[in-house]
Amino acid sequence: MIEIETLSVRFGGIKPIDQLTAMLSAPVSGLIGPNGAGKTTLLNVLSGFVRPVEGAIRLDGRSLLPLSPLQRVRAGLRRSFQTEQVVEDLTARDNLAALADNVASVGERSRTTDRALDFVGLGSVAHRLGARLNLFERRLVELGKCLIGTPRLILLDEPAAGLTDEEGARLRDLVLAIPDAFGAQVVVIDHDVELIRAICAETLVLDYGKRLALGRTETVLADPDVRRAYLGEL
Amino acid sequence: MNTQRTLVPAAVPLAPEATVRKPRPLLAVALAMAIFSAAIALFANAFWLSALTSAMALSLSVAGVAVLYGQLGLVSLCQFALVGVGGWVTLRIGHGLQPPFEVSLLAGGVVAALLGLLFGVPALRLRGLYLALVTLMLAGAFQIVISAWGFPDGGPGFLGRADGVGRSMLARPALATEAVPYFLYCAVIATLGLMLVQAHKITRPGRAWALIRKGETVAIASGVNVLAYKAWAFALSGFLAGIAGGLLAGNVGQLEGRAFSAFESLNLFALATVGGAFHWYGAVIAGLLLRALPALLTDLGIDGYVTIGIFGVALFHALATAPTGIAGQIANLLARFTRGGER
Ligand SMILES: Nc1ncnc2c1ncn2[C@@H]1O[C@H](COP(=O)(O)OP(=O)(O)OP(=O)(O)O)[C@@H](O)[C@H]1O
Ligand SMILES: [Mg+2]
Repeated sequence: MIEIETLSVRFGGIKPIDQLTAMLSAPVSGLIGPNGAGKTTLLNVLSGFVRPVEGAIRLDGRSLLPLSPLQRVRAGLRRSFQTEQVVEDLTARDNLAALADNVASVGERSRTTDRALDFVGLGSVAHRLGARLNLFERRLVELGKCLIGTPRLILLDEPAAGLTDEEGARLRDLVLAIPDAFGAQVVVIDHDVELIRAICAETLVLDYGKRLALGRTETVLADPDVRRAYLGEL
Repeated sequence: MNTQRTLVPAAVPLAPEATVRKPRPLLAVALAMAIFSAAIALFANAFWLSALTSAMALSLSVAGVAVLYGQLGLVSLCQFALVGVGGWVTLRIGHGLQPPFEVSLLAGGVVAALLGLLFGVPALRLRGLYLALVTLMLAGAFQIVISAWGFPDGGPGFLGRADGVGRSMLARPALATEAVPYFLYCAVIATLGLMLVQAHKITRPGRAWALIRKGETVAIASGVNVLAYKAWAFALSGFLAGIAGGLLAGNVGQLEGRAFSAFESLNLFALATVGGAFHWYGAVIAGLLLRALPALLTDLGIDGYVTIGIFGVALFHALATAPTGIAGQIANLLARFTRGGER
């Protein structure tokens, strides 16, 4: 469970997150909003790369802000990036192993790496270099990295961007299966409302860094304010 | 839903053996070096043997620079100064305590590693041109210190200078007092050093370095302690430089302060890129360029200074057309025959 309290971030003159209070407790929650709404910034605050000027965040009751980004990774926080960050000259497996090196005990590393590879279905290309993977495989590597060790909170920044419908559907099934298989909570940012509708029980809508709506995804997506601001409807 | 099936942990290997890309095997390094060294030991005369012994030793220091540059993109221009540090400590301990050569050598490596780390620490947050400038100034500082102190030659006191009378040479290791055995001795140590670097590249540090190359944010998000892994690279690089210095000291039994100018550090970095900082044998090629090429020119009766011009052209060529150096070009060539060049 993530609890966010009166969180504000300032970049010079602008406030990409402005007095945000929200609580996310669904196994898979959605985070949506127009371009520049502050979604990625919120992810950066959660993972520790951006320091808020005020507010508090708790993950399962534990305060996150005092932890460095590294400590948060060790505590089970995982994230993917909006533009995929697969290392080209490491194999798919080594991309995952690179994380296992730092978050799993020596005896566990190989097992957790293989389990994640297998879960995302990359076993057959495990020894292919990152440079030779296609976009879908790269997205799967990014997802697989999030499953290494003992993940508690997984933050996915537009994990399906650029994928075909079929690939998107496979990714969707995988994300849906994560909470049960790994015991982690997942937060997904995406512009694809259908994807959000399909996998997120609960959704937070941001607009200009403020909370526009929060609740059951169906309810939120039907909200007139949301439709006006985000879906461009009257 | 097909995810249920894939949840079962794999009991069988993930990929059929044939599709597994062999991970740049350590044995290949050992094998190639063994053949190369044996050929030299069989055919080289005394003049060449001395030059190639130095080349072997220096290839270790190049391997260190290549770790910093090839793995992390860090330009360090004080490597030859660290070679000097290793040589100084080896001579000082060797003359002062007269332990087995290996002990002096290891001491040289360790002190150079610590100093490399110390040189690296202020630089950990610098990169590019700034790091290059800071390390070049350190090389300059070493040049000043060593031309004032000189290298120990059996005298008393901390500096160990003998002032004319009572000068002595450092004894070579007991099991390699003659030229050919000492060359092979250096070749074995160089091979071990190159394998040490290679082992780093294909295991945990290599993966961490790869992530740091990709971007520090990604590296941190993957749990990599960026500063620790950079510091380790500086220490490893310094260690290799120190060992190279110790081996050089053992080759002739003494070292000359004038040979450790800041220019030599610059030259070493330049040739590391010409040789190729991304493949293990790039360091061997660079070692040959540094010591065997001048020897060749001397042999042909051409002034050694011509090498500087040749190196300049080679560097320009490398920067303009072959950023992975001669080793990279060889790897590309090999890849045509074997598919997938090894690093
Ligand atoms: N490092 C930064 N420095 C200054 N401003 C920034 C920085 N990062 C983001 N911003 C600004 O903060 C605002 C929120 O950006 P953010 O990337 O969080 O939006 P987003 O909701 O993820 O948008 P998108 O859907 O386009 O990815 C934008 O106005 C952006 O320009
Ligand atoms: Mg974004």
